[in-house]
Amino acid sequence: MKSSFSRVETLLSAGIDIGTSTTKLVISQFSLMNMAGDTHVPRIEITDKEILYRSPIYRTPLVSPTVIDLKAVDQIVKNEYAKAGIEPGQIKTGAVIITGETATKQNAAEMVHHLSDAAGEFLVATAGPDLEGIIAAKGSGAYEYAKKTGKVTANIDIGGGTANIAVYESSRLAGTCTLHIGGRLIEFEAGKVKSISSPVQKLINQEGWTLQTGDSSDHPDIQKVTSWMAELIVKVLRKQTSPRDQVLILGHEPQWDADIEVIVVSGGVSECMYQFEDPAASPAMYDDIGVILARSIQQAAGLQWYEWRRPDETVRATVLGAGTQTTNISGATIQVESSELPQKNLPVFEVSFEQDVAVGLRKLQGSTEAAVAMYDPGKEGQNFVWYLTDMPYLKFKDIQSIAGALLACQELKPDSSQPLIIVLQSDHAKVLGQTLQALKPAQSILCVDQIEVEHGDYMDIGQMLQSGVVPVVIKTLTFHS
Amino acid sequence: MKEELIASITKLVVEKLSQEKTQSEPEVDLWSKQPKNLPLEAAAGQPEGQVRFKPLQMQEANGKQTVKPLSQKGEFSSPEQEKKEQQLEELRKKTPSRIAVGRAGSRPKTDTWLKFRFDHAAAVDAVYGEVSPAVLESLDLFSVQTKVKDKEEYIRRPDRGRQLSDEAKAIIKQRCQSSPAVQIVISNGLSAKAIETNIEDVYLSLQQSLNNLGIQTGTTFYVDKGRVALMDEIGDLLTPDVVVMLIGERPGLVSAESLSAYLCYKPHKGVLEAERMVVSNIHKGGIPPVEAGAYLGTVVQKILKYEASGVSLVKKEN
Repeated sequence: MKSSFSRVETLLSAGIDIGTSTTKLVISQFSLMNMAGDTHVPRIEITDKEILYRSPIYRTPLVSPTVIDLKAVDQIVKNEYAKAGIEPGQIKTGAVIITGETATKQNAAEMVHHLSDAAGEFLVATAGPDLEGIIAAKGSGAYEYAKKTGKVTANIDIGGGTANIAVYESSRLAGTCTLHIGGRLIEFEAGKVKSISSPVQKLINQEGWTLQTGDSSDHPDIQKVTSWMAELIVKVLRKQTSPRDQVLILGHEPQWDADIEVIVVSGGVSECMYQFEDPAASPAMYDDIGVILARSIQQAAGLQWYEWRRPDETVRATVLGAGTQTTNISGATIQVESSELPQKNLPVFEVSFEQDVAVGLRKLQGSTEAAVAMYDPGKEGQNFVWYLTDMPYLKFKDIQSIAGALLACQELKPDSSQPLIIVLQSDHAKVLGQTLQALKPAQSILCVDQIEVEHGDYMDIGQMLQSGVVPVVIKTLTFHS
Repeated sequence: MKEELIASITKLVVEKLSQEKTQSEPEVDLWSKQPKNLPLEAAAGQPEGQVRFKPLQMQEANGKQTVKPLSQKGEFSSPEQEKKEQQLEELRKKTPSRIAVGRAGSRPKTDTWLKFRFDHAAAVDAVYGEVSPAVLESLDLFSVQTKVKDKEEYIRRPDRGRQLSDEAKAIIKQRCQSSPAVQIVISNGLSAKAIETNIEDVYLSLQQSLNNLGIQTGTTFYVDKGRVALMDEIGDLLTPDVVVMLIGERPGLVSAESLSAYLCYKPHKGVLEAERMVVSNIHKGGIPPVEAGAYLGTVVQKILKYEASGVSLVKKEN
């Protein structure tokens, strides 16, 4: 039953996807409402997501093949905001996702610094290949489909530089895998091969092919490369990779257990299959193997076995995922010091209570040292989040002892005057926050609950909204070098 | 003459018989009175006695047995069946309702049926139970009575559960601080078990919350067999700004130990029901009692700020 008195609060979110080939932006509006009944403790949920503005697809401005031209990105963002009629200050949440081959630590760090001015005081996320795949699966509709039908669904997002596979079994993420497969890995110019990326060069050497720069763009080896890539996708989906396939596998091997039933292909290469976009609206032009790769994938015999589902979005899957799927809403009963918000790039240190308060208290004792060693080895005062999980049923006395232990931990931090930040899996943030406050009134506290994160993730906590909740963006920062 | 006598006697007998017949008809039970009467006898025998609650482990063990055996591996004839079972398991996780429990012919399975009976019995126990004096002592609460004499009267006469006994009024006048900002009242209501299980956590956490916010509380006390609107009389007696009444909810088959907190700004005899507000579903499986207490503190703060509760509060807030 919906509360008859609850008001709808809206929140503007921006998503910016900076990929190897293309850059695009979306602005969407979330509606938040109390979904608990009148007699219950409030539960604020995102009830509606409306896309207000989609930018054209821009060619990613680059200084060198792996370094982004930040000034040009700024300009794109500013122009697009102006076209959408939005001031940067209105954006309350969202994510910038740097994907594919440009997702290097250097680009990401500079982007964080740069874009918060131009794009608004919102939450900036940077993606690693696993997160890219997850976000694309959410933007392409593959996640929704898996959740609705219970079928094991693989989203294959093929962009310019990488293909990110995310497999969902119902709403559960079963696994991810990233491959050096993309449209821009071989580029043409005036009917000739202009460049071959290094993973593909290795593949050509390994297979004993002869393709090299300067060859004609209809050299027979090009077809061999794209067919080989399509076959690799089949092998990865079936988890039947061999050592020879390592040349195009980026990071870990496929690790899902389930047998895939449905595939959804999104990303720039899928645009070559489905043509969702208006060619006139997007000035970016490609002269690369994208179209040939798309054809090879469509013709691959091994992929015919699967049920193909049309994506909701092709080239925009990731940006839509970034703009609409990365924001979480905290529980409604939390304790936060508003003046300490927003907080950005907080690493998460998990302490599992294993359903036993005594175990949790013992683990908390050594946790500061371990967390500082992990996230702040130089003792420069990098703050982090204590993420308390697997709590048993807690009595008031348990809360008191946990609060005491946390305050003792806080004292051991290199900078104990910084806010004490706690995220709880279970609904206990208000009481724990109040207990901490009662024990040490001078300590500034951010205690948030009902958020699912993982050890090693980074999170941003945004400004408190009128409904008393905070938006939280969770990021998995794993970069390929 | 004799014939007349015989006729009149015959008439009498026939009348008597037909009367008896009409009398016996309404005595047909429309519902079984058995489960209702059984615990009543036990409670009547020792009105001050405690009802011992059965250990929860038993309930859990039963529940698990009902559901789990199917999900064990190796029992499925086909992978499709196993997948179906996984999907059902997903659905079961989403609700405490008794869904996808299987059947034996047209009837529920024995385990399901026993679990149902067990939960029903727990609900009945919760209504007829008493709060142990040790719980009240540990929180430093004194205890008073309403005008209700026993549980049967409590159930039949809600009006008497809304009035304090004369003795209670005298004790409250004497022992409680007058005109506090917040008066907390605790009552077993329809579930003594709700109080036994949750009151310590809710109460301590609420106290701490009010303390942090600098809101002064009066002298908390316990009322045996109270109803929500009892707060009106307490409002007249002690004139607090806000009454917070923590009372056991009518037990259901999911939980017999759910607690509600009713709040009202300056309650008095004749206050509109719309001025009351409630935070319900406070128990292990609902909102955690410790968190509920912390939340209630902020609700009290809001009531004091706007000097209104219930519908008036919502209007003023907008």
